[in-house]
Amino acid sequence: MMNKDLFKHFTILTIVAWLTVFVLIPNIGVVVTSFLEREEAHFVSFTFTLDNYKKLLSVMYIKVFLKSLAIALYVTILCLVFSYPFVYTISQTIKSIIIKDFLLILVIIPFWTSSLIRTYAMMIVLRSNGLLNNFLMYVGLIDEPIELLYNWVAVTIGLVYSLLPFMILPLYTAFEKLDRNYINAAQDLGAGKIDTLLKIIIPLTKSGIAAGCILVFLSTLGMFFIPELLGGSKEILVGNLIKNQFLIARDWPFGTAIGTVLTVIVVILMVIYARNTKNTDQLVV
Amino acid sequence: MSRLIRLYPIFIYIFLYFPIIVLIVYSFNSSKYGTSWQGLTLEWYRKLYSNSLLIGSTKNSFLVAALSASIATLIGTISALGLYSYRFKGRKIFSSIVYVLAISPDIIMGISLLILFNLISINLGFYSLLLAHITLNLPFVIIIVISRLKTFNKNLINAARDLGAGEWTIFTRIILPLILPSVISGWLLAFTLSLDDVVISFFVTGPNFEVLPLTLFSMAHLGIKSEINALCTVIFAVTLVLIFISHFIFRRKI
Amino acid sequence: MKKYITVFFLVFGIHLTASANEINVYVWSEYIPDSIVEKFTEETGIKVNLSTYDNNESLYAKVKLLHNSNSGYDLVMPSTYFVSKMRDEGLLMELDKSKIDNFKNIDESLINKPFDPENKYSIPYFWGSTALCYNAKYVKEKVDSFNILFDPKYAHKILLTDDVREVFHVALKLLGYSGNDTNEEHIKQAYEKLKTLVPNVKIFNSASPKLNYINEEVIIGLNHNGEAYVASVENPDIKYAYPKEGVILWVDSFVIPSNAKNTEGVYKFVNFLLRPEIAKEISQAVGFATANKAAKALLPKEILNNPTIYPPKDVQDKGEFQEDVGDAIVIYEKYWEMLKLNN
Repeated sequence: MMNKDLFKHFTILTIVAWLTVFVLIPNIGVVVTSFLEREEAHFVSFTFTLDNYKKLLSVMYIKVFLKSLAIALYVTILCLVFSYPFVYTISQTIKSIIIKDFLLILVIIPFWTSSLIRTYAMMIVLRSNGLLNNFLMYVGLIDEPIELLYNWVAVTIGLVYSLLPFMILPLYTAFEKLDRNYINAAQDLGAGKIDTLLKIIIPLTKSGIAAGCILVFLSTLGMFFIPELLGGSKEILVGNLIKNQFLIARDWPFGTAIGTVLTVIVVILMVIYARNTKNTDQLVV
Repeated sequence: MSRLIRLYPIFIYIFLYFPIIVLIVYSFNSSKYGTSWQGLTLEWYRKLYSNSLLIGSTKNSFLVAALSASIATLIGTISALGLYSYRFKGRKIFSSIVYVLAISPDIIMGISLLILFNLISINLGFYSLLLAHITLNLPFVIIIVISRLKTFNKNLINAARDLGAGEWTIFTRIILPLILPSVISGWLLAFTLSLDDVVISFFVTGPNFEVLPLTLFSMAHLGIKSEINALCTVIFAVTLVLIFISHFIFRRKI
Repeated sequence: MKKYITVFFLVFGIHLTASANEINVYVWSEYIPDSIVEKFTEETGIKVNLSTYDNNESLYAKVKLLHNSNSGYDLVMPSTYFVSKMRDEGLLMELDKSKIDNFKNIDESLINKPFDPENKYSIPYFWGSTALCYNAKYVKEKVDSFNILFDPKYAHKILLTDDVREVFHVALKLLGYSGNDTNEEHIKQAYEKLKTLVPNVKIFNSASPKLNYINEEVIIGLNHNGEAYVASVENPDIKYAYPKEGVILWVDSFVIPSNAKNTEGVYKFVNFLLRPEIAKEISQAVGFATANKAAKALLPKEILNNPTIYPPKDVQDKGEFQEDVGDAIVIYEKYWEMLKLNN
């Protein structure tokens, strides 16, 4: 019995201790810092102030937040729209397990490849004398190279490109769990393809859709290197704003204030997500 | 119509792979800035090999990735067991924290750890990066192992207990062998995450410990150069190898 | 379990013994070629951990952050005005000139400047300018004024360096003020003028603008002279021009942060870089004007006579060295952020 208790306490203590030291305390630190004042010598001085949050309420910064949320939303919707038919086709129409397996690996490869590398690869394709422009000119669709790089269109394309696998994989899991019997029953009862899709398949894959959406949405909010590389240091989203506060402006309190607001948004989304799924274990990819 | 639908995935695959293939092809382009095709060459790979800054960064990245993956797998497996098997006060809270961590934007973890290290005066460098990466990897290992534990037949464990086996024996003889594929998968995922991490490394590493993604990021900032193409191709090849290994392990389990 | 622990300590142990003789160097991207670093390591056995930055603000923030740490940088290279700022804040170590024999190689005209009297803390490495760069294949008119950047026909094909002081210099000069102006009203006026320019800028890049010109992503804008020189070697259509309003001049110097650990190693490295042949090799590779007069004597005629690298006297006289603006920097940064965010 001693053995069992010791083991139990050891395993629980491990996770509690690690999370407390490396997650709870630092995040409390972030929130506390957001209420402090900036100081030249030591980065923060222990004076309470609401100035950082007041500063955030200005039009300029609210625009940045709104823009980031808007782009995150676009990217999420685009990923969903592109991924859903993709997963539907592979999951429902391909019978051979070996081929399915192979096709799945072809999705996992980009998923595991560093998004930095993939973003850089996208830079090569999109630049002015890059392949895409040269192809379009060759085919005669355009006369002059269009500016595909260094603007928010490039950033959106880059984000969709990086995050597509994050939408495909949860959807795939959900589709694989689909019981074919439902679909067969619907078709036996005379439902057309579209009806089956709308009334049976989509509702049944809801958990995959939700999981994919939240993964993509949240990932978009934090990846500052993609807007920086593809936006030519012009596109400022929430992630870039935070990074600049810490690196260039040296305004840690303001940076943590932005970070705190971001965390709050994340937590709110997670709560909504958790409430609407049967159990949080559905998060597992 | 259904014919057309079947062709759709091909477009997605082209979208996913085209830039990478271009990247790989251009890494053999003898034009320095990749503006036009000027013939095949291995020059960039040769340059990579003799670039001591890059070799140093790569060694550092692999070191941190291997260590943080191993430690995270260790702590994560134990934690997963604890969270799964026992009901304790705060279990729900800590479980939720794990899931939130897995999904949250890395930048929050980056700045929070920077503040922590500043507070307790840990110098930024190898150790701060190691601790940060273990924290990054932990939630993923836990989630992977827990989902495997959930497929368990609890009767196995009950039967073993009835037959008089102690906790340790149950762990090493029954649980561990069954969760081993997930543990290894967790290790591989953690290794990859650590190797690819840009955001957190950006905030918590120090001057004497440069890591590959950061070197690559500053190089990419400079613009498009054939040397970078070669580096990316090499990293991509390593990733392919890791996936192959991981898949091979999973295959055995099935 | 035991296996895990032994492996852990093995790897751990290897790492501890590895960090023997090395220096941490943090410099402008593209400033110290890899070949030079390798030569140094071959000769002395000292490992150089080189990392790079692309603007003074990042440099300053990082050095500040690491100031109280015992693993900071051993050598960094700020521009003029940052030397005085860092010195005033106690971030720098006084130089022991007796350890730097090759200091005598430095050009006298660059020594004992107001930002570091008697060069107690810094040694000049390169000096240069930031001015107009353009691609003659697409820009057919005469380029001699910052005004050309405001010409609508170049909209969306412009590059500006990602540097608050340099960009504001453009507007301040066009308004007739100094690039080192500290008057809030003047800075605000410069901001208003820049508001019409920034939306037409395609790229902000200080790390390596030459690539953007070479790749023809932009056809006109600002650039550092060394970058423009290297670009012109790759593509002779890319040219560098001095504006009549006055060019931005800067000097980048070696400084040693006060908490540098391997001072012996650093002095060796500095002496190495100050050797005439080495300084000459670097200068030829990166295209910036060396502060080392002994090296200059070894440079080939085409480089010495190249106005991009060595601007003629009248350009130097009309140009302005960047100076510290003290607390006014906060005003600059405020408007800079507003410019970048209102996109």
